[in-house]
Amino acid sequence: MKNIFALMVSFLLMNGAAWAADEMPAKAAMCLGCHGVNGNSSMPGTPSLAAQNARYIYLQLRDFQEGRRENPIMSPMTAGLTRPEMQELANYFSKQKLSSKGFKADPDKAALGKAKADETLCAMCHLGEFIGQNEIPKVAGQNFDYVVKTLKDFKAKNRTNDAGNMTSVASTLSEQDIENLGHYIAGLN
Amino acid sequence: MQQLGKKISLTLASLAIGVLTSGVAQADTGKSVAVSQSQLTAADKDANNFLHSNMNYAQTRYYPSKQINTGNVKNLRPAFTFQTEVLESMETAPIVIDGVMYLTTSYNHVYAIDAVTGKQFWHYKHKMGPVTTYCCGPNNRGVAIMGGHVFMGTLDAKLVALDAKTGKLAWETQIADPELGYSETMAPVAVNGRILIGTNGGEYGIRGFVKSFDAKTGALQWTFYTIPEKGHEGVWAVNDATNRNMLRDINAEKAQLAKQGGDFYKTLGGGVWMAPAVDLETNSVIFVVGNPSPDLYGAERPGDNLYTDSIVSVDLNTGAYKWHYQYVAHDVWDLDAVSPPILTEAKGKDGKMTKVAIHAGKTGHVYVHDRATGALIRFSEAMVPQDGMWTLPTKEGAKMMLGANGGVEWSPMAIHPEARLAYAANLLQPMTYHVEASKYPGGKLWLGGAFKTIPSEKQTGRLSAVNIDTGKVAWKFDTEQPLIGGVLATAGDLVFNGEANGLFRAFDAKNGKKLWEYQTGAGVNAPAVSYSVGGKQYVAVASGGNNQIDAKRGNSVVVFSLP
Repeated sequence: MKNIFALMVSFLLMNGAAWAADEMPAKAAMCLGCHGVNGNSSMPGTPSLAAQNARYIYLQLRDFQEGRRENPIMSPMTAGLTRPEMQELANYFSKQKLSSKGFKADPDKAALGKAKADETLCAMCHLGEFIGQNEIPKVAGQNFDYVVKTLKDFKAKNRTNDAGNMTSVASTLSEQDIENLGHYIAGLN
Repeated sequence: MQQLGKKISLTLASLAIGVLTSGVAQADTGKSVAVSQSQLTAADKDANNFLHSNMNYAQTRYYPSKQINTGNVKNLRPAFTFQTEVLESMETAPIVIDGVMYLTTSYNHVYAIDAVTGKQFWHYKHKMGPVTTYCCGPNNRGVAIMGGHVFMGTLDAKLVALDAKTGKLAWETQIADPELGYSETMAPVAVNGRILIGTNGGEYGIRGFVKSFDAKTGALQWTFYTIPEKGHEGVWAVNDATNRNMLRDINAEKAQLAKQGGDFYKTLGGGVWMAPAVDLETNSVIFVVGNPSPDLYGAERPGDNLYTDSIVSVDLNTGAYKWHYQYVAHDVWDLDAVSPPILTEAKGKDGKMTKVAIHAGKTGHVYVHDRATGALIRFSEAMVPQDGMWTLPTKEGAKMMLGANGGVEWSPMAIHPEARLAYAANLLQPMTYHVEASKYPGGKLWLGGAFKTIPSEKQTGRLSAVNIDTGKVAWKFDTEQPLIGGVLATAGDLVFNGEANGLFRAFDAKNGKKLWEYQTGAGVNAPAVSYSVGGKQYVAVASGGNNQIDAKRGNSVVVFSLP
């Protein structure tokens, strides 16, 4: 009986591994160096892609390729991708589980961040607790440094592929607001 | 280990069930369904059924039974609560035929249930395509019914026809390309073998339209584009429909048009995202058109941006233009026209009863138009404060008391013909408007700026009753939460309306006195409906919360009756 169970488990585990390998598109391998295994980035300034909305990932890849968003690494990386390949990558990463970063939010700053998020109507697009929808990214539990960097990039207009939405919102945020929002958002999970 | 084995078996079994049930029916309604055109045409007098999302082609939402009335509404109790499997924003207006209710949820699920017991007959889940684009929640506002089919628009911009008895997919057709920002949340309208439907996408740089499809095959019959290829600059209107200066720099706009040409009609917006009214006497489809794209940044879309923010009439058989009237030219506040128009009669300028089309604007006015020409007969008193109209958006943010949601958002009005009143659900959301230059982003959200609420100022709601013969506000009921959802009126002299805090209420239609309320447990942000089975009247409303105002989510339709 024990042997049969052992056999069953090893069969399932092997099959599970085979499924996982089959599911990961070949081109995803080049993403893992920065975005981490299964899209869970351990580099503070690089976003985790795990559990991100597929539509958002796809549109960002398209924007990198078409020059609406610029990054010295991502722009060349996306140059040769076809639309179906972008969708395949987006689907793969969207289905991965986002792991906890163990981020310890400052409770006072997180409370101020939430108040600023309510005032700024963030939930109207990002939904409550920043779970995201559709093309609007999930940012709950995202790396703190990346959240802060992104908001600063929007504020400074270093990132402008948002059709004026985030650049406009970010222009009304102070440096302290951005830090508070970072604590609130990175602390969500 | 045994536990693991059990879990794996259960998971595999669940997966198998999921595969078997996805997109198909589990049972049927037990009777064939055949809704005739004459039934649909006479829906306004039909107290047994609720055959259109807004009750009838005139969209009066005036239910003709008086069994539940001002005298006994205090006894209204839940008959049953039907829970869906989708815990997300509910904006559905159920339709009911011969004791079967058809309701929808976010993400395009449709349920057919027994309208007396709540027993589920079938459940259809739309198999969503890879691309969906929608700005304001994965909502759906209901189905249309005709013959033996129910019809639904989907978030991936398809029109689907389902067998009303079994829930099986009969056909589906692609309405437009979701990659470019087109999607569907509105209930279609079924008439004379046609299915009429518009599109979302005013926040995505689409070119809006209303289309007519063959109800039997899904074949496209005609398209009316809400943005004409030529002439969208209009008449360079200085004032809005209420004669207030909109502070446009028309010389700069004319110079910009001369410089860039008018090719931007392809991305100028103008969604039609609520059901059109149909006037069968004149074969007219009358609807309102949403905002231009991008919402806040107007510099590179010079002109009036016709037919955005307008009421429009087209021919039912051909889609040919008949007339339009624009409320806000060159909108830079997202104050689009969206609450579905109602066809009724009201006093004309000469004091004689005239056939009219009325619309409640995000602007906070109810507008009354001559139905033959579109000419504006009157506009109501402002239902909500309008401090600072028309303050232009700035980079830093400029305050205007009318928030970008209104006034009246998509919420359908109801009328009470005897009381001469139209009932409108309003939001009071002071906001600052921020503008940011931005180019067309390729089918992504394109606001050209942002709206922000003002933390020190309260956001509330107001149910307003407006006399359509005079434009005077007859009564109002102020609410704690902004109102999104819509109104139902009945011959029992009642008005039903819900609030984001879960309260569903009945009012005396003539004086606004609150007569009854019930806590449903989640935001009531959908329009109520009413019907009768076996001589007993029911009132049904969805309680699922709302994405746009972040109202508490639920997954229920609650049905009420007298004991």
